[in-house]
Amino acid sequence: MKRYLKLLGVFAKYSLMSVLEYRINFVAGVTVELGWMLIKLFYVAIVYKAGVSIGILTPDHILLFIGTYVLMTGIYMLYYNNFTSLPGMVQRGDLDLYLVKPVSLQFYVSMRHLDFPMFLTNVVAGTVMIVIGWRLAGLPVGAVQIGGFLFFLVCGCLLTYSLFLLPYLISFWTVSVGGIGDITAALWDFNNMPSMIYGKWMQRIGTFILPVFVITNFPGLFVMGELSVGMAVWGIAAPVLFFVISRMLWKKALRNYSSASS
Amino acid sequence: MNKYRCIFLMGIERALEYRVSFLLSMLSAVFPIIIQTAMWNYLYGHSDAAAIFGYEHGQILMYTLLATLVSQLTSAGFEWEMNEDIKMGGLNKYLVRPVSYKWHRFFGFMGQKIPRFMVIGPVAACIIAAARFWKGLPITAARVFVFVCSLVLAMMLNFYIFYCIGLLGCWLTDVGKLFGTVSIVLTVVSGGIFPLDIFGGVVEKIVNILPFGYTAQFPVNIINGRFGWERIGIGIAMQAGWILLFACLGEALWRRGMKRYVGIGG
Repeated sequence: MKRYLKLLGVFAKYSLMSVLEYRINFVAGVTVELGWMLIKLFYVAIVYKAGVSIGILTPDHILLFIGTYVLMTGIYMLYYNNFTSLPGMVQRGDLDLYLVKPVSLQFYVSMRHLDFPMFLTNVVAGTVMIVIGWRLAGLPVGAVQIGGFLFFLVCGCLLTYSLFLLPYLISFWTVSVGGIGDITAALWDFNNMPSMIYGKWMQRIGTFILPVFVITNFPGLFVMGELSVGMAVWGIAAPVLFFVISRMLWKKALRNYSSASS
Repeated sequence: MNKYRCIFLMGIERALEYRVSFLLSMLSAVFPIIIQTAMWNYLYGHSDAAAIFGYEHGQILMYTLLATLVSQLTSAGFEWEMNEDIKMGGLNKYLVRPVSYKWHRFFGFMGQKIPRFMVIGPVAACIIAAARFWKGLPITAARVFVFVCSLVLAMMLNFYIFYCIGLLGCWLTDVGKLFGTVSIVLTVVSGGIFPLDIFGGVVEKIVNILPFGYTAQFPVNIINGRFGWERIGIGIAMQAGWILLFACLGEALWRRGMKRYVGIGG
């Protein structure tokens, strides 16, 4: 475990160094991300302009939820590029070299390049939105609330990693994933609004079958004291369950790997 | 004129090259539409949103559906190729041929849009017909005709805007990320995601003056019945004016850019 953390530190260091080598690229990366941020902020602006509550959520609560979504986007984007480059690595047979390294291949392949411009932009903006939303909504600031919020954020991170890795694993069988990547990326954006605006069936599917809603809704719901015990258990169980599934599928997929070139 | 017809046909063929990725790119546009529709339905169901945003419920739903389609239709994408031509010397082959680079790009762009139009056209027609009969929006044949006209103008305007942006490659060394930012920001300010005039006041006035809204927001607001005939007339004049302005700008940029162009490689 300690070795992996150290390795992650080294990956982070190299990614940061390569970004800082071409500083203008760093600035440009932040600018692109700010462009996308504009779209997310539009939702916030519309919610405030309408001034309407969504169920128990006032616009301030919604700001907290959208902030959580932005923050989680930043964390997901930190390693997202590794996922998208996985089909290419399968195609070219690049995995050969990594297979012989004395570390977990899944860890190595999925964490090698870290994208700091996207990460920083979203994490900073998301944190600001969360803090403002939290204060405006008058939610209590206690050790329990903050601890629980962070705990469900961590659960959400694990769930994001496990859930969104699955579609890319298909590349071991089909070589190219084509547009599946685009479609799962679009799925992520459902969290741009709290799950309560969607219909009952979409909420159920998004909570239990493809649990994207768990990722960004549960931390906020916990702070509001609206997360039932059953849901809280699912919020902890789902990441573990999906991590096990992704791990199993990874191993199965790897058995299917045929080194392509030399 | 014959040579441009060939370029036009080449554009059509190029768009058909990657059919699956083309269809999937259209499909992934469905998700944002679902998200936005859910949001508008909720807001209109629980508040006096029509008074706040200035759009009727049917109008805003139609806007959400059609704005995505319209911006897919008007979106450029050739600015990357232009940059490549400028940087890698690919422009040489156009300079020595008896074709104008601008018209080459223009007919290629229009040609590439034809297959997209053939998919989007029927979908849009169904949406418009459904809106007419179920939601009772005031859609007449005249409105549809003006909508199509303004759509063509919107495509031309967007072509000239991105032609100018592409020519910036003559001056800037690394424009890759700049193009990414510009295309996202322009999608937002053109109203390709949300109509910007829902914010009213100053924002609405700025949007009405700037050219970007005329590439997406304006055509959609014709067909959903939001604009009266007078407003449509002014809008079309604005479209024509901006096209003229960007055409002149493009011409000036081209002339100056070619003085800097060194034609390495090719």
